[in-house]
Amino acid sequence: MKFEMKNHLKPCATVSIAIMVIALVMTLTGHGMNLGIDFTGGTLMTYNMGAQFEVADIEAALASSGVTDAQIAKTGEENTQVQIRISDKENTDDLRDALETALAETYPDIAYVDISRVGAVAGRDLISNAVKSVALASILMLLYIAVRFDFYSGLAAVIGLVHDVAIMLSFVVIFSSLIRVETTFIAALLTIVGYSINNTIIIFDRIRENSHKAGVRSKTREEIVNLSVTESLPRTLNTTITTLLTIVTLYVLGVDSIKQFALPLIVGILAGTYSANLINGYVWAALMDLRTARRKAKAKA
Amino acid sequence: MASKNAKAANPRVRAIVSLVVILVLVAAVGYVALNGIGKGTMINYVKPWGEAISLGLDLRGGVYTVYQAEDDGSEDFETKMASTVSILTSRLTRQGFTEATVTRQGTDRIRVEIPNVSDPNEILRIIGTPAQLNFVDEDGNVLMEGSMVKNAQAAQDENGRPCVAFELTDEGAKIFGEATAANLGKTISITLDGEVISTATVNTVIAGGRGEITSPNFTVDEVKNLSTLILSGALPLTLSQLEVSAISATLGVEALERAVQAGVIGVLLVMLFMIFRYRLCGVVADIALTIYMLIVVLLLVLTGAQLTLPGVAGIILGIGMAVDANVVIFERIREEVAIGRPLGSAIRKGFSNALSAIIDANITTIIAAVVLYAFGTGTIRGFALTLGIGVVTSMFTAVFVTHKLLDIFADLGFKNQKLYVR
Repeated sequence: MKFEMKNHLKPCATVSIAIMVIALVMTLTGHGMNLGIDFTGGTLMTYNMGAQFEVADIEAALASSGVTDAQIAKTGEENTQVQIRISDKENTDDLRDALETALAETYPDIAYVDISRVGAVAGRDLISNAVKSVALASILMLLYIAVRFDFYSGLAAVIGLVHDVAIMLSFVVIFSSLIRVETTFIAALLTIVGYSINNTIIIFDRIRENSHKAGVRSKTREEIVNLSVTESLPRTLNTTITTLLTIVTLYVLGVDSIKQFALPLIVGILAGTYSANLINGYVWAALMDLRTARRKAKAKA
Repeated sequence: MASKNAKAANPRVRAIVSLVVILVLVAAVGYVALNGIGKGTMINYVKPWGEAISLGLDLRGGVYTVYQAEDDGSEDFETKMASTVSILTSRLTRQGFTEATVTRQGTDRIRVEIPNVSDPNEILRIIGTPAQLNFVDEDGNVLMEGSMVKNAQAAQDENGRPCVAFELTDEGAKIFGEATAANLGKTISITLDGEVISTATVNTVIAGGRGEITSPNFTVDEVKNLSTLILSGALPLTLSQLEVSAISATLGVEALERAVQAGVIGVLLVMLFMIFRYRLCGVVADIALTIYMLIVVLLLVLTGAQLTLPGVAGIILGIGMAVDANVVIFERIREEVAIGRPLGSAIRKGFSNALSAIIDANITTIIAAVVLYAFGTGTIRGFALTLGIGVVTSMFTAVFVTHKLLDIFADLGFKNQKLYVR
């Protein structure tokens, strides 16, 4: 028996919207994304303590410099590294000197690994730039597709990409304990914007082709979408597999910052494949049918 | 009879020659890419490409900082920004940080990146000091300070070589006139932060308050920078530090090693998958993928683009996506074969059917990359560039390389369709 795609727009849209609503509720109730200091501003310091250490010692050293709101985490392969995150956005050079001196008494092998300090302004700019880039990229793509296909294809494709981006955002909200949102997350988002559109266009290209084919033209739009998605399925699946092969390898073998980048990408790729096959084409068909119905109603009136 | 045989053999011979030429070329370029040419001590030494790529801070370790310039509302703010950037750059260069980069970010920000430095406090030490310009005699006594210079600009000396023409304040003109009189026949040097940048023998007394700083080695850019530096020993704008970050070199090296390792394994997996799925077409795709990777690395070397960690991830992700165009083409060919078309014409038809989808899909991705490049800074920008290079290159290799190779294989006499499609 040959597989054929059917319209499952309603259940699929329901699942996607449910995921987004859960993430939205979590965000509104204070369980939002785990934003890195790139976004919130603050200072992140990492030290190699050279031995097992007590978090209390670090807290005490910080408190003697007047810092009480620090988040302290053990990291590194043997838990001998400490990551200190403080919200202080001012110059922290004095604090560092004091901290290093205080801790060196108990931990003589203490070694500085890295430090970053980001002002709140820089964080705000980053977010506004991210929103701007996604919005601008979407508009430009909408225009391009409107020219190459038709306006409703562009609209459906952009709805699909907004869906994929929203699913990615929902994922980092729901799994905020797993994923810290860093600058690279924006790069991941934009990659998915490109990837999602890529998938959609391959299918829309089929729809465009099938719509003009003799023998297919007489079918309803939904049937044309069914046929086009089915015909494109081998390509969609194989490309998803090759892309996942590389990105999953990267996730498995990469260092922490790579993992933070790769995991949202994996989610985005899956969401992109899902929406391209099950949502976007049918949204296009629904939009076109709606337009036809409205035109008919107008003609009657 | 003989001529008929020759005709039949001809395309096949040509195909074999083409294939051998392509494979030898790929192998040779691949060898150069991995090993370079010659040894490090030779004049014509060509580095392995991997070593020639400039690495971003996150991969090699270093510090970066972003400064916010205070907009004083003056009309020449733009000029002041430009000269601030050039002053910071030359300060870093003079202190030996030749690989440091200073770039404008937006309208009123400056980003400074210094590799191979581990402590962010270093940045302040390195670039926090204003340049001090002095005119000194042979014994190192300061004759006149840079603040006496009223104007300085790039000019040409009587031999047409670039030089800095300067004009002194009235007070400076007086002092300099006396100094040149006292040092006739001797040399006067100009020093910047204690370092001699130019030495000239005093031939005549310079009383008019005008003079030239010459050096046989000056380039046009150097004299421009120097005149800016002389004019503003201190920075023309007030800067405040917005963000500062340091990445330890060991962390960066480990990140790169593991990413490269992941890349190699990822590529092998993709190649095996393609052969498993598309047989001979898979082999074609794998050769095209190899060419793709060589071109991408070469472009990275040639453009001097900085490779950042997201950039590496972008390249590896790009490999997965690069075979997409091949997949689209192969599936189209399979469809044509399935409706009974002979192989040669199925390849042609498959290609033309796939082309519109490939072009539309890639152009939209290029739009994303361009937007990312325009809005992004630092590591994001590096990622956008590698993404863009990857997409354009994959389009090229799919449309030209894959097509050519498929034709060659068809001419070679691999007519059995089972070899091409499942």
